[in-house]
Amino acid sequence: MRFLLEKMEESKHLFEPGGKLEKLYPLYEANDTFLFTPGDTTHSSPHVRDSVDLKRVMITVVVALLPCLLFGIYNVGHQYNEVNQLARNGFAWDMIMGCRFVLPIILVSYAVGGMWEVLFCVVRKHEINEGFLVTGMLFPLTLPPTIPLWQVAVGMSFGIVIGKEIFGGTGFNILNPALTARAFLFFAYPGDIIGDKVWTVMKEGATTIEGFTGATPLGITALVPVGENATVALREAGFTLSSMFHGLEGGSIGETAMIPVLIGAAILLITGVGSWRIMVGGVIGLLVMGYCLNALPAERFIGTTQLPAYYHLVIGGFGFGIVFMATDPVSAAATSKGKWIYGILIGVLVVLIRVANPAYPGGVMLSILFMNVMAPTIDHFVLRAHIRKREAHLRKFSYAKG
Amino acid sequence: MAEFSTRKGFNIRLSGPPSDELKIVEGSGETAVYPQEFAGIKPRLLVKEGDSVKRGSPLYLDKKSPDLRFCSPAAGKVRAIEYGPRRSIQKIGIDIARSQRTEEFSAFEPASLRTAARDRILEVLTTSGYLAYIVERPFSRIANPAVSPKSIFVNAMDTAPFHTDICMAISGHEAAFQAGLHALGRLTDGLVHLVLPGGRKDLSKALTGAEGVEIHRASGPHPAGNTSFHIHNIDPIIPGDVVWTIRADDLIQVGRLLLEGKLPADRVVALGGPGVSNGGACHYRVPNGAPVHRILDGNLSDGEKRVINGDIMGGTQIAADGHLPFRCSGLTIIAEDPSRHFMGWAGPGLGRFSASRAYLSWWLAQGKSWDLGTSQNGSLRSMVLTGLYDKYMPMNIMVDYLVRAVLANDTDEAIQLGILETDPADFALCAFACPSKMDVVGIVRKGLDMIEEEGI
Repeated sequence: MRFLLEKMEESKHLFEPGGKLEKLYPLYEANDTFLFTPGDTTHSSPHVRDSVDLKRVMITVVVALLPCLLFGIYNVGHQYNEVNQLARNGFAWDMIMGCRFVLPIILVSYAVGGMWEVLFCVVRKHEINEGFLVTGMLFPLTLPPTIPLWQVAVGMSFGIVIGKEIFGGTGFNILNPALTARAFLFFAYPGDIIGDKVWTVMKEGATTIEGFTGATPLGITALVPVGENATVALREAGFTLSSMFHGLEGGSIGETAMIPVLIGAAILLITGVGSWRIMVGGVIGLLVMGYCLNALPAERFIGTTQLPAYYHLVIGGFGFGIVFMATDPVSAAATSKGKWIYGILIGVLVVLIRVANPAYPGGVMLSILFMNVMAPTIDHFVLRAHIRKREAHLRKFSYAKG
Repeated sequence: MAEFSTRKGFNIRLSGPPSDELKIVEGSGETAVYPQEFAGIKPRLLVKEGDSVKRGSPLYLDKKSPDLRFCSPAAGKVRAIEYGPRRSIQKIGIDIARSQRTEEFSAFEPASLRTAARDRILEVLTTSGYLAYIVERPFSRIANPAVSPKSIFVNAMDTAPFHTDICMAISGHEAAFQAGLHALGRLTDGLVHLVLPGGRKDLSKALTGAEGVEIHRASGPHPAGNTSFHIHNIDPIIPGDVVWTIRADDLIQVGRLLLEGKLPADRVVALGGPGVSNGGACHYRVPNGAPVHRILDGNLSDGEKRVINGDIMGGTQIAADGHLPFRCSGLTIIAEDPSRHFMGWAGPGLGRFSASRAYLSWWLAQGKSWDLGTSQNGSLRSMVLTGLYDKYMPMNIMVDYLVRAVLANDTDEAIQLGILETDPADFALCAFACPSKMDVVGIVRKGLDMIEEEGI
């Protein structure tokens, strides 16, 4: 390793001011600090610093996403093999076929995201931020496996440039870049991201398994007419609470199953990287809103209102969204109280959008983006309340003083 | 008497704590003073090279407050005056004479200090320069004698590694400490608050039985030992208020001056930290202003070291070939560490110290003490408002927003958010834990400077 370090140090002068490749310094810095921890020392107090840096934080999130990625790969391959009734079945073949469909999406996402990140850093002359490692992984996991690769590239470009860089880069963006990218595709190319046909990769010429429609649970509940039972409709289509929990079904790559999401949540919570207030708040908001709707008279409202509240936890991308998307510290609320409000309102909105506006099955994405926009306002009011409380507290002392 | 505690904060488990052993260090033939130690003063020289001075002879004064003189810690001859950029006075070096002649100040009987006139006490403190031990809040400047503070806080506890243990310093000077407390009582119309570490049983009677003061007990992880936390809980600073603060070991020096009528010759200084080799980490009785190497010689392990006056969180770096500063509350030695590790961000991190749970060390090495160096452990990144800082702030202050207000030059909001209650060092733990490696301490200092300049 010493050899490598020496080589890096040797080539450093090329990238420093006055060097031939001066403009590419951010790229050099990124590679250099990726390979070796930086040799910077403290200049003033505090004289020692914690071992955690932004790289570690971001890598922790990527590690937390790995269970979702691995399960997603398996599930995509499994659906492909099963639905198309291919003879080559079994875990290994499922994984191989899954990789065949998922890895290109991930690679395109990272390549395009990384390209924009480097470009902006070079132009702006600041360091490459590790945040794109997370964005580049989050975005593909929210996409259907059938997404055309050019759309991945376009979506990622939109997410990084419009969602993040025009605000000034990491730390300044209002919206979660990965969700911005998905929302862009959702509205620009709805045919490739909504509907029944996109969630499972089909093989041309193969006959699908009997009874396969491709519909997702959300698509089914959205169509339940007034007075009918959504749970029964789901069961008739082959979805039970436990099957949706296990997630061996069509859907976006990373969000169908709950177990990998829960493992990811555990990693984020144990390491303290993700905010438990947002996650718990989201679940509370979702259940409360769900039970409120359950209390409506069944004969007068559409069937979705009668879907038991806890179904909303496992249907669709709520788990994935609240664990990985809503907790993005840049776009979420920053105050402790703000995080509660932010999380709860996301939960409430998810149910509202799903039930009241079935045309948008992507309720999770829209509610998180909406709350991203509202987060600074929430924080503003929390901050004003904090200042008022501080002043009231101090006034007590000035009164006591006479 | 009040007891208060916090669970917010974090104790940095630095290796090499100073033991209770007391070693005597003789001075060498020279000493020096550094006017730049005191932020906010404008020094004007009162001596020139070659002048003879006594212990207690004024060397320079503060142009802004000409009564305040800073005196020589030893008798001898001014050897050299070194200037820095724009003719700022960097250092006044003094060759120490054999016979220690001392300047006489008014001495007080212990009993008379209870009733002594404020002006008489202040006169001694300003002409001797010992007023500089008293730090005024807000802005952490030398106390302004023209102002009567609403209360005075004496801090007898430390939570950051490492400082002189107050019981070691007070031993033998109990009367001086009590005299100092009585004198402080004459300087304010309000109360004098003495804050002791909660849960510590072996405290000196001079502390637990101190007279003429309100005794409080504070407990919790660092920064529970910071005076700001005490003020916040006992008598918070409202914009417009002035509060004086002093460290208990500095108050002993003040008390000795008032009782004896001459500058004390020595003080007790702790030496600790991972850079100290076996047996060297203990307490030393040293002449005031002695060369630092008199303490360090033979006590350091190999490699380049950083000498810090005070603790690793709020202390300042001093030169190893320099002299003990005026406010000297212990020396902490850590290794200069520019080393680079392959793929340091990966791996379980058993050998990496962190306040967060992102490394396995948090789970598996809970009681371990650490040989920390000066490595920044990462490079500077954009600030992200996460609320993380608030975990390390025991006061009712939202650190993210305070930092943001300062960065936006919004001094009004910074004041509303409580910046006047703080000292930059209170944010050292936030800076320590920040994954973006923000200079939170420097930002707050800039904010306080800005407000001081503009006026509240």
